[in-house]
Amino acid sequence: MNRAKSHLQPIERLSIKSDQAYRLLVDSVRDYAIFLLDPNGRVATWNPGAQHFKGYKPEEIIGQHFSVFYSEKEKKAGKPEYELKVAAKEGRFEDEGWRIRKDGSRFWANVVITALRDEAGELIGFSKITRDLSDRKRAEERYRLLIEGVTDYAIYSLDLDGYITTWNAGAERIKGYTSDEILGQHFSRFYTREDSAAGVPQQVLQAAREHGHFEGEGWRVKKDGSRFWSSVVVTALKNEEGELYGFSKITRDTTDRKQLMDRIKEHAEDLEAEVRERERINADLEAFSYSVSHDLRAPLRTIEGFAVALGEDYGERLDAKGHEYLKEITDAAVRMNRLVQDLLEYGRLSRGQMVLEPVPVAGAVAGALKELAEPAADVQIRVPHEAAVRAHPNTLVHVLFNLISNGLKFHAPGVPPRVEIQIGPGENGFSRISVTDNGIGIAPQHHARIFQVFERLHGPETYPGTGIGLAIVKRGIERMSGRYGLTSHLGKGSTFWIELPAANVKE
Amino acid sequence: MEDRIVLLVEDDPADVRLVQRAFAKVGLQAPLVRLGNGDDAVAYLKGDPPYENRAAYPLPTVILLDIKLPRRSGLEVLEWVRGRKNPVRRIPIVMFTSSRHSTDINGAYDAGANSYLAKPETTAQLVAMAEAFKTYWIHLNEQPTLQQAA
Repeated sequence: MNRAKSHLQPIERLSIKSDQAYRLLVDSVRDYAIFLLDPNGRVATWNPGAQHFKGYKPEEIIGQHFSVFYSEKEKKAGKPEYELKVAAKEGRFEDEGWRIRKDGSRFWANVVITALRDEAGELIGFSKITRDLSDRKRAEERYRLLIEGVTDYAIYSLDLDGYITTWNAGAERIKGYTSDEILGQHFSRFYTREDSAAGVPQQVLQAAREHGHFEGEGWRVKKDGSRFWSSVVVTALKNEEGELYGFSKITRDTTDRKQLMDRIKEHAEDLEAEVRERERINADLEAFSYSVSHDLRAPLRTIEGFAVALGEDYGERLDAKGHEYLKEITDAAVRMNRLVQDLLEYGRLSRGQMVLEPVPVAGAVAGALKELAEPAADVQIRVPHEAAVRAHPNTLVHVLFNLISNGLKFHAPGVPPRVEIQIGPGENGFSRISVTDNGIGIAPQHHARIFQVFERLHGPETYPGTGIGLAIVKRGIERMSGRYGLTSHLGKGSTFWIELPAANVKE
Repeated sequence: MEDRIVLLVEDDPADVRLVQRAFAKVGLQAPLVRLGNGDDAVAYLKGDPPYENRAAYPLPTVILLDIKLPRRSGLEVLEWVRGRKNPVRRIPIVMFTSSRHSTDINGAYDAGANSYLAKPETTAQLVAMAEAFKTYWIHLNEQPTLQQAA
């Protein structure tokens, strides 16, 4: 132990031996290449860090010009000399770039060159500190390649003022500009003339500045002047200190979707217009049939009324033939009245809303029987109290009325009419309501025809009717999404049936 | 019963005659005052000229009111009557129309009609209706007081 020096404080001791201490410090650093250059750029010292990532041993490199670390291209361009010149002039030069190892491989280096001067200000050399940032550079590179490789999205960045700083393959594909053409240009050129004039680009950046984020859609312009519908996300880019330094923009060409949506919208508008038109027509028809029922039937009342009055009040002055004529008049008026009513009913069935609901069948049958002119007729009802179908209540009553009154009407002379109403299961969850009569029957060749409006198989003298009854059945059942039909043979009666979805009626 | 009066507001003269005949057939004694449009009905009930003489033109026991009328519809007349501040608003009103339209029926009741009769299609039905009308509105129905002083 050297007792003579032991009275010195550690800091004093270190300061006395500082040259040696610095060398030890530099020699111990492995993560940084730290070495000195003479004023001409020749390597003067070499630390283990330098050896570690440049690959040269001290004896191989000391005395060599530091340009060996540069690529041939950069050497030719005079980059090493330029760096020294800047360092000599400014005192310091910092750069990032590719450097070459002894084995020829490249690494991404952060380099700081500092000019060293003595007390007289004479340049005695340079210190050079180099860091290997290859890992970081590779990660950045991978990220950049990833972004550049994306073709479905235009991904590019802007500086604070909106000038384009990066440009990927998707941007080139979507917007049509190569990166050489567009880098440094202002991004407002992607907007339509109107949007630019309205200050939309500035508003977009302002919104991203304020909220960190902006999303929007709109028409944009390609290099060739054509437009496309774009979905855009703009994000404010901030450094570690939170200072804004630019914007990233991700743009998608959604023209196809936009056009599809526009077509759907147009279609919906067309449909709405059609519905409105149909509603208008229906309202017109409603007004028309209202006036028909009022105005057309008023004279019929008059004809019938005065014919009856004539017969009753002046009857004694008419002979049998005169009374017959009067009867023709009243019968015609009654028939016409019935016809107008049936036509109105038929028309009503074709238009307007038909809201379906569970309808108890027994109730509907009772409603239909109430309409009959001869309520005393022989009508057997075999319908369980709880049976119900999905139907429009009034329409079902009208349908049943027409089926029952038909069944009662078409009976053979001298045979009392009889009708039986039944309900049973139909196909596919439907219930079948059948109306069976003991009447004259219908030949098979007429089965389809009788459901048409004004189709009649008999003259009015035999079986009176308007020829609309079964057409009402057909139209009514069709409007309620049901089925209808008949089985019948001449002379053996008929069974008319309708099928409607079975339903439950809540008690 | 002698002071009972039926006011018939009906524009169709044929319908008027058929109603008159039906009333005669059922022996309805009350005089039938006939007016041909809504404005006349309002003038009559207000006592405007030429109806200012209440003795000659007394307030009716019941009004038979058509809906489709010239100048002022039956529903408008009905609303006018029900909107009076005097006892005129109490007069029983029976709508008598060829419309079976639910809009008309509901509108009439909403506006304060006492009854709604659809014009029958046959004379027999009309006579039956006249009979029922006589029994109910002339004989059974209690009369409100119509004098202003009361």
